[in-house]
Amino acid sequence: MRDSFSRALLAGIAGFMLFVLAVPAVQGQADLAGAAKREGSVVVYGSIESDVFDVIRKIFEGQYGIRVDYFRASSNGTMDRVLTESRAGKPLYDVVLTNRSPMLILKKAGVFGSYVSPSYERYPAATRDGEGVLSPSYRQVVVSVLYNTRLVKAEEAPKSLADLLDPKWKGKIVMPDPNVHTTTAVWLANLQSVMGAQYRPFVEGLAGQVTLAESFLPVVQKVIVGEFPLGITYVKYVYIFGSEGAPLDYVRLSPLLAEAHHVAISAKAPHPNAARLFVDVFTSRLGLLALAKAGEFVLVPGVYPPIKDADKLRIVLMDDLSEQDLKQFRDQIGTLFLKR
Amino acid sequence: MARVAAAGRPAFWSVRTDPAVVATAGVGLILAFLALYPTAMLFYGSVSNAPLGVPGHLTLAHYRTAYGDPNTYRMIGNSFVFASGAAAISLVVAGLLAWITVRTDAPGRALFELVAVVPNVLPPLLTATAWVLLLSPRIGLINVVAQRVGLPPFNVYSMAGMIFVEGLILAPLAYLIISAALSSMDPSLEEAARVAGSPPLQAARRVTSPMIRPALLAAGLLNFVRALESFDTPSIIAIPARIEVFTTKVAREALAAYPPNHNLAATYAMSLLGIAMVLVYVYRRLTASRERFVTISGRGYRPRAIALGSWGYAVSAGAVALLALIVLLPFCVLLLTSLLPFYSVPTWETVRQLTLKHYAFLLTSDRVARALRISVMLAVSGATLGMLLASAVAYLTVRTRVAGRGALELLTFIPWAFPGTALAIGLLWGYVRLPVPIYATAWILLIAYVTRFLPYGLRAMTSTMVQVHSDLEEASRVCGAGLVHTFRRILFPLLRPGFLAGWAILATIFMREFSTSLFLYTPRSEPVGPLLYHLWIDGLHGRMAALGVTVSLVSVVLVAVARRAGRTRVGE
Repeated sequence: MRDSFSRALLAGIAGFMLFVLAVPAVQGQADLAGAAKREGSVVVYGSIESDVFDVIRKIFEGQYGIRVDYFRASSNGTMDRVLTESRAGKPLYDVVLTNRSPMLILKKAGVFGSYVSPSYERYPAATRDGEGVLSPSYRQVVVSVLYNTRLVKAEEAPKSLADLLDPKWKGKIVMPDPNVHTTTAVWLANLQSVMGAQYRPFVEGLAGQVTLAESFLPVVQKVIVGEFPLGITYVKYVYIFGSEGAPLDYVRLSPLLAEAHHVAISAKAPHPNAARLFVDVFTSRLGLLALAKAGEFVLVPGVYPPIKDADKLRIVLMDDLSEQDLKQFRDQIGTLFLKR
Repeated sequence: MARVAAAGRPAFWSVRTDPAVVATAGVGLILAFLALYPTAMLFYGSVSNAPLGVPGHLTLAHYRTAYGDPNTYRMIGNSFVFASGAAAISLVVAGLLAWITVRTDAPGRALFELVAVVPNVLPPLLTATAWVLLLSPRIGLINVVAQRVGLPPFNVYSMAGMIFVEGLILAPLAYLIISAALSSMDPSLEEAARVAGSPPLQAARRVTSPMIRPALLAAGLLNFVRALESFDTPSIIAIPARIEVFTTKVAREALAAYPPNHNLAATYAMSLLGIAMVLVYVYRRLTASRERFVTISGRGYRPRAIALGSWGYAVSAGAVALLALIVLLPFCVLLLTSLLPFYSVPTWETVRQLTLKHYAFLLTSDRVARALRISVMLAVSGATLGMLLASAVAYLTVRTRVAGRGALELLTFIPWAFPGTALAIGLLWGYVRLPVPIYATAWILLIAYVTRFLPYGLRAMTSTMVQVHSDLEEASRVCGAGLVHTFRRILFPLLRPGFLAGWAILATIFMREFSTSLFLYTPRSEPVGPLLYHLWIDGLHGRMAALGVTVSLVSVVLVAVARRAGRTRVGE
C-alpha cells in the first residue's frame, strides 16, 4: 500500500516537474511560431530532390501557413551559392541542407549561426555537433550498384564490388566522374578502408571497366533507359524511380557506404524565426518519418525507407574529405579515370 | 551626314552638334557599362588571391596554374577541332535550309521556315540528351535500326559524335542569321545568272553564296565561339567519351573544385575572351569593304523566289531530311519521353504505357505557371530592348564613319566571349555590389540576357544593314525628310526582316536560357531554363520533356508572330 502510494507520489512529482519544464517549451514554441508567421516565409537552399523536399514543404506550410521557397542545386552548387552570397554580404537564404563535406566547409567559413533545435534531443549524442551549429546527421545517402532488372536477372547481378571487374561487365557500368563529382570521389576514397590491400588494384581495374557521367542522376537515368545495365549511384532511386515503374534493383553490398546530411541556419537569416521553426519540423520525428516514406534513409531506430531489405543493410558513414584530401585524391586516383 | 561632318568640320564642332557622335557616345556608355563592368570584375577576380567579397592581394598565381599546365593547350586544341567542326556543320545545314526556304518556291517552305527555329528553343542539354537516345551504341534508335539492316552502329561518344550533335544544335542560330540576310537580298543578280544559263544550284554557289558572305562569316564566327564555350554537349558526350575539352577542364578544376574556385574560372575565361577578340578582328577585316555586299540599292528591289520547276519536290525532300536532323528526330524523342513514365527503346509494349501525367503536372504546378510567365516576360521585353540597342549599334557602325564606332561593336562582343557561367560570375560580382537592388530580381536576368546575347541581335541587324545601300536614305534626305522620318519610312521597312529575325533569335534563347540564369535567379524569380535544368538534375525527364515541348510551342508562336510582322511588303 505504502509502496503504491510512494509510486503514485513520485509519479505525481515527476508529472508536475515535466509540466513545469514543458510549459516554457510549449510557450517558447508558440512564441517562435508567432514570430515566424510574422516573417511570412522561409528560404531554403539545398541539394535534396525537389519532390522529396516537397513532402516536408507541405507539412510545414500546412501546419504554419508560412511559405517555403526552395533553391535546389547539386551539393557543390548549393555550397557555391551560399558562399558567394555570404561573401558578397547579401545572404538570401535562411536554411541550408546538404551533404556533410560541403556543410563542414560552410561551417568553417562562418556562414551559419548556432541553433540547437529541441528535436535534436532525440538523436544519439554521437551524431550531434558539439558547437551547436550543424544538425545531427538526420539522414544518410547510401551508395551502391544499381541494375536494370530487364537487362540483368537478380542471380546474374554482381554480389560484391570485386565482381564489377569481371570482363563481362566491361563497358556496361556507368558511374559519375570522380573528377567532377565530389560525392563519388568521397565514396571511392572511403573504399580504401573497406578494401585494404585490394583497393589500388580495384580502382585501377574499375577505371578501365566503366563509362563516366556527370553525377548520380544521369547515371540512374542511363540505367533506367537501358543504356547501361549497371550503375554506381544512390540506393534511394530504387524507390524514388522504381515506384513510378522504373526497372531497378540494387546490389546488397556489405558494408554500404553512406554520406551524412546536415541542416543549419544562416548566421544572417532574413527570416531567423521561420528558419528555426523549419529546422524544428524538418528534423522532428514527423519530418523524418515523412522523409523515410519518400525513400530516404533517416536516423530513427526501426524506421526504414520502403526499399526491399533496407532493414538488413549494414550502413557505414563515410569520412569526409578536406579540400587538401580531395585534391590529393584527384591527383592520384582521379587521373586513372581520365585515361582513355 | 556623319561622313561629311567628320571630314569637313573641326573636331570640337562635330562633337557638339553631330547627332551621330552624340548617339555613339550614348550607346557607347550603355554598352561599356553592360560589357565592361562584369568583364572588369572577372579580370579583377583573375588577379586576386581572394574570392568575391573577401579582401585580397593582386597575384598572378591563377594564371600560372591555368597556363603553366601544358594540358591547357592540348585542351584548347581539342576545343578548336570540336568548335571548327561544329561551326562548319551548322553552316552547311543552315545555309542549305535557308536557301531552300527563303530563295526558292519549294513546296512547304513556309512550314519548313517555322519548324527550323524549334530547336533553337530547346535547351542544348535536352537536344544533346535526345541525340544520345538516338545514337548511343547500345540503345540509340538510329543504331538499333542501322544494326537491323546490317550497318555498323555510330558511337555518339566520340569526337565525331560531339561535333555532329553540337553542329546540329548550332544550326538553327546560323539559319536565322543567314535566312534574314537572304530575305533582304536583291535577287536580280541570281536572275541574271539564270538568264545567262546557270542552273539553280550553280547560281546559288556562284552568286548567292558570295553575296551573303557577311552573314555566313557572322554565323560561323558566332557558332565557333559558342561551341568553344559550350559545356552542355561536352558534359553529355565528352565525359563518357573521356575526351577532354577546354570547358570540361574548367569545370573540373575550377567549378567542381572544393570549394569552387571562381578566380581560376575567371582566369580561364580570359583566354576565351582573347580568342574571341582575335576572331572579331578577323571578321571585321574580312567584311571591311562592305560596299561589295550592298545588294539592296535604289535600282529596283524586288524579292522573288527562284522557280525550281520539276526540282521542287526533290529540294523539299532535302529540306525535310535536314529538318529531320535538326528538329524532327530529337523532337520526336522528346515527345515520346514526355508521354512515357520512363523512356525506353520503343516496342509494342510502349503503346500501352503512354501517359499524359507529365502534362497534367505542368497544368497543376504553380511553379511551372510562374516560370512560364517570367520567361515570356523576359523573352518579349529582353528581345525588344536587345534589338533596339542592336539596331542603334548596327546603324552607327555600318552607316556612319564616326570615330569610335569600331569600339561599339567590340564592346558587344566582349561578354559573348565568356561561357555563360563565367559571365554570370562577373555579373554577380558586379551587380551584387551596386547600391541599386538588382541582385535577386528578374531585372538582373534581363540585364544578363541582353548583355550576353546582344551579338546575336547585332549580327542579324548588321548583315541586313550592310546590304541596304545608303543612296535610298540619301534620296529621302534630299527630298527633305528628317532623320526620324527617313528611318521610319525607308530604313525600318527594309531592315524589318533583320530586326525581327534578331528578335526571334533573342526571344527564343531567352525563353530557355539557363547557364547564366542558374547563377542569378532566386526561387521566386525562377524562369523556364533553370526549371528545366532542375527537372533534369532531379531525374524527372518526363516532366522536363513535357515542359520542353510546351516551351517549344510557346516559342513557335512568338516566332510566327515575328515572321508575320517581318514579311517584307513590296512597294511599301
